[in-house]
Amino acid sequence: MFENVLSVMIFLPILAGLALLLFPVGKSGSRLTGFIVSVIIFMFGIELFLDFTGNGGMEYAVNRPWIDSLGISYSLGIDGISLLVLLACSLLFPLIFAVYSGKTKGYYANLLIAQGAMLGAICATDIVLFYIFWEIMLLPIFFMIGLWGGEKRLAATLKITIYTIAGSLLMLAALVYVGVSYHSQFGAWSFNIADLRNLDLSGGFAVTAFIMFMIAFAIKIPLFPFHTWLPDAYTEAPTSTTFVLSAIMAKIGVYAVIRFVIPVFEIEFARFALLLSLAGVVGMMYCGLAAITQKDFKRLLAFSSASHMGIIALGVFCMNIQALTGSLFQIVAHATSTGILFVFAGLIEERMQTRNIADLGGIAYRAPIFATFFAIAMLASVGLPGTSGFIGEFLIILGAVKFNAFIGFLAGTALIIGVCYMLWMFQRLFFEKSNTKTEGFKDLSLLETVTFLPVILLILFMGIYPQPFLQKIEPAAELHVAGFTTMTVTETVAETVVPAQEHDTHHKN
Amino acid sequence: MNDFLSLLPLIIICSGGIVLMLLSVLETMKTETASYISLGFFGIAFFIQFLIACYPESDLFAGTFSSMLVANSFTGVAGLIILGAGFFTVMSCHTYFQQNKVCTVEFYSLLLFASCGMILLTLARELITAFISLEIMSLAIYILVGYDRKRVTSTEALLKYLMLGAFAGAFFTMGAALVYGAAGSTRFVEISNYISSNSAATPLLIGGAFFILIAFLFKVAAFPFHAWVIDVYDGAATPVTGFMATALKAAVFTVFANFLAINGALQKEWITFLFYIALFTMFGGNLIAIGQSNIKRMLAASGIVHSGYLLIGLIAISTKSFTGSVIAYYLAAYAVGTLGIFAALSYLGGKNESRVSFDDFKGLAKVRPYSAAAISVFLLSMAGIPPTAGFMGKFYIITSAITEGQIALAVFGVISSILSMWYYLRLIICMYFNEAEDSFEIEKSPFAPACTFILAVCVFAIGLYPIVI
Repeated sequence: MFENVLSVMIFLPILAGLALLLFPVGKSGSRLTGFIVSVIIFMFGIELFLDFTGNGGMEYAVNRPWIDSLGISYSLGIDGISLLVLLACSLLFPLIFAVYSGKTKGYYANLLIAQGAMLGAICATDIVLFYIFWEIMLLPIFFMIGLWGGEKRLAATLKITIYTIAGSLLMLAALVYVGVSYHSQFGAWSFNIADLRNLDLSGGFAVTAFIMFMIAFAIKIPLFPFHTWLPDAYTEAPTSTTFVLSAIMAKIGVYAVIRFVIPVFEIEFARFALLLSLAGVVGMMYCGLAAITQKDFKRLLAFSSASHMGIIALGVFCMNIQALTGSLFQIVAHATSTGILFVFAGLIEERMQTRNIADLGGIAYRAPIFATFFAIAMLASVGLPGTSGFIGEFLIILGAVKFNAFIGFLAGTALIIGVCYMLWMFQRLFFEKSNTKTEGFKDLSLLETVTFLPVILLILFMGIYPQPFLQKIEPAAELHVAGFTTMTVTETVAETVVPAQEHDTHHKN
Repeated sequence: MNDFLSLLPLIIICSGGIVLMLLSVLETMKTETASYISLGFFGIAFFIQFLIACYPESDLFAGTFSSMLVANSFTGVAGLIILGAGFFTVMSCHTYFQQNKVCTVEFYSLLLFASCGMILLTLARELITAFISLEIMSLAIYILVGYDRKRVTSTEALLKYLMLGAFAGAFFTMGAALVYGAAGSTRFVEISNYISSNSAATPLLIGGAFFILIAFLFKVAAFPFHAWVIDVYDGAATPVTGFMATALKAAVFTVFANFLAINGALQKEWITFLFYIALFTMFGGNLIAIGQSNIKRMLAASGIVHSGYLLIGLIAISTKSFTGSVIAYYLAAYAVGTLGIFAALSYLGGKNESRVSFDDFKGLAKVRPYSAAAISVFLLSMAGIPPTAGFMGKFYIITSAITEGQIALAVFGVISSILSMWYYLRLIICMYFNEAEDSFEIEKSPFAPACTFILAVCVFAIGLYPIVI
C-alpha cells in the first residue's frame, strides 16, 4: 500500500461530501458518487487489513508538524487496536448506499463526511487531531437526524447534540491539561499519544481530567448512566444514521478509551476500573430489561445495542489481555450484527410503514431469505456459538471472571436477558400468527441478497475461524496491557511509600 | 525607514478620511463612489500592514515621539484585524445602504477616522496618546451608531452610548492623572520602572489603574459595564455593529493587554479582580444571550461572552515574555466569525432591517442554502467547533490559562461554551429544520455576499493555518 493511504481514506469521503453539497447533483447521481467513494474506501480497508503485519506497533504512520509552537502534529497511524474499528468503518458503508435510495443529495453528502471524520478519529494518534475529527463527526449526525429524522426529531437532535458537545468540551479542557502537564514535565510541547504515555500524572487535577475524558467517551459509547439520549436519537434518526451511530460511532468511544485514556491515566484507570465495569454491567442489565418492554422494534434494537455496548466497555475496563482482545473483536462483531439488524428493521419499516411489534407477525412465511438473514444476525448479536458474537463475548466474560468473579457472573447473567428479548422479538415478528398485514411482504430482491450476503458470511466466518482477526489484534493488546500492568505495580509501591512520608512530616510538626 | 513603514497604514487611513471629508462637499459625489474609494484606502493600508506585521518590537521615531508609539508583531496583527474589519465593513455597507437609504459620503469618512483612532490606540505606549486615540475612535463611532437619525432605536442607542462612553472617557483621564501622580510619567516604560523600584500597591497607583481598567472594561463591554451593549448593537446599522464588535474590541483589547503587561507586579495586583470580572462576564453574557429572540441582540450578548474569554487570555498573559499572540489570534478568529455573520445579516436583513428575529430566518436553508451554510460556519466558529478558527482560538486561550495555573478559569470557560451552544444552535435549527415562510428577496449587490463567502473561507484558513501563533 502506498504511503499516504490513511490521509486519502480520510479526506476522499470528506471532499466528495463537500463537493456534493457545493455542486448541483441529482439524487441518484449523489447516491452513485457515495457508493463509488465508499467502495473505494472499502477496497483500501481490505487491502490495509491484508497488508497489516500485526507486530504491535503503528503502521502506515504519518507524522507531520502542524502547529509547531504547541507541538500539535498531523500524525496518523494504525495498530492492532484501531485496525478492526477501521475495518468496521470502511466495510459497512457501501451497504448503506446500496440499500437506501430516495434520500436527497444532502443526506448522502452528510453520510460521506461522517465516514471521513470517523476514519480520521480512528487513525489520529495526536490527541488534538483526534478531537477535531471527533467533533466534526457530530455535525453530519446533527443534520441527518434534524433534517431527515422521524416526527420527534427536533427533541432527539437537541438531546444528542447538547449531550455530546458538553462531553467533548469537557474533554477539550482535560486534553489541554494533559498537554500542559507534558510541557511542564518534559519541557516540550506534544500532544502525540506516543509521548503522552510517558506522563506521570497524579493529584486532584489528574482525577478530574480523567473523569472529564471518561464522561465524554461514556456519553458516546453510551455507558450507563449517560445513555438517556440514545433511545430517542436511535429511534428518530433515519435508519442509515442509526446504523452509523450504533455500528461505528459508538465503537469509536470505546476505541478512544483504549487508545487515549488508558495509556495516559493508568493509575486513575486502575483506581476506577471496578466502578466503571459495574457501570458497564448495570448498563447491560438495565438496557436489556428496558428492551424487553419495548413495543417499537427499532427502539428495542436501540436498547439492545446500548446493552451490548455495555459488555464491550466492560471488556476494556477489566484490564487484562483476554477481555481487551475480546472487546476489540466484539467491536467488529457487534458492528456487523447490530448494524445489519438496524438495516433490516429499516427495511421492515419501509415495507410495512410501522414499527410496532404487535402489528407484525408471520414474516418468515412470506420472506424466508430475509428471515434467515435476520436470524443469523440476531443469533450473532446474542452470542450463539458459531457466530462472531460468541468469540467476543466469551473472551470478555473470561476476562471479566479473571478480573472479578462477581462482575463476570453479572455479565453472564445479563447475556441471558439479551437472549430473552431478542428471541421473543423474533418470534413475534417472524412467526406466530399469520397476519393479514404481512401478506404482501416481499422477500429480499436478488440485489439486496447479494449485498447482505457478504456481511452474513463474515459473521459466520468470524465465528468459525476467528484466528486471522485475533492474530492481528493480540500483539498490540498485549503491548497495551503489559505497559499497563508494570505501571500499576510500580505505582502501588510508590503509593504505599507516599502516605508514610506524609505521616512522618505531620508527626514532626 | 522601518518606522515610517510601520506608521504608513495609519497615515494612509488618516489621509483617506480627510480626502473623503473634502470630497463630500461635491454635489456630484455619490456614496457608492465613496465606498469604492474607502475600499481602496483600506485595501492598500491592509496590504502594507500585512508586509510589516511580523516585525520585531521597535519604537516609532523614538526621537520625535519620545517612545509614545511602539510597533511590534502584536500591534501589527491587531492593525491587520482593524483594517480587515474596516475593509469588510465597507463591503457590507455597500449592499446594506442599497436597502437602507440613509448613507452619505461622510459615513465612509467617519469609518476611516474611527479606524485611524483604533490603529493609533494599538500603537500607544503612553496614557495621553491612548486617551486621545480612544476619543478619536469613540467620537467617530458615536456618530456612526446614530447615523440613521430617523430611527428611534438608533437615536436611543446613540444617546446611551454617548452618555456612558463620555463617563468612561472621564474615568480614563482621572486614572491617567492618578497614575501620573504616582509614577511621575505617563509613559508605560517609566511607569514600569517606577513599579519595579517601588511597589505597585501604592494608593495612587491602585486608584489610577482601577479607573483605567474601568474605562477599558466599559469599552469591551465586560461585566458589570455591559448593559449598554445590547441596545447599542441593536440600534446601530448592521455593518456598523459588526465594525464595533470586531475592530473596536480588537483595538481596546490590544491597548488593555499592553497596559497590563507594563509590569508583572501590576498584573498580579489585579488578577483576582479580573478573575471574577471574567467569570461574571462569561456567565452574565450567556444568560442574557439565552433570553434573546433578536439575532443582533443575541450577537451583542455573545460578544460579551467572547470578551469574557479574552479576559481569560489577559489574566493568563505571561508578563515576562509578553507576545500577545493568544489574544491576537483569538481576536482574529472572533473578528472573522462576527464580521461574517454581520455581513450576512446586512444583505439578508431586508429593507429597513425588517428581518431581525430568529423566527424571521426560519427556513433560510431551503431558499438560500449557501448563505445559510456560511452563517452556520460562522456560528460554529463562534461556538468553538473544530476545525474552525474559533476552536483554535479557544484552544489557545484554554492552553494559556492552564499553563499559567488558572485551571478553574479554563474549566469555567469550557462550561460557558457549553451554555453558548444553546443560542448558536438555535439559529442553525431555525435556518435548517423549518420550512421557509419568507422568500428572502435581496438587492442585487454582490459585495456583502462576496464578503460573507470570503470570510467563511477565512474561518477555515485561519483555523487550519494558525500562522500568528
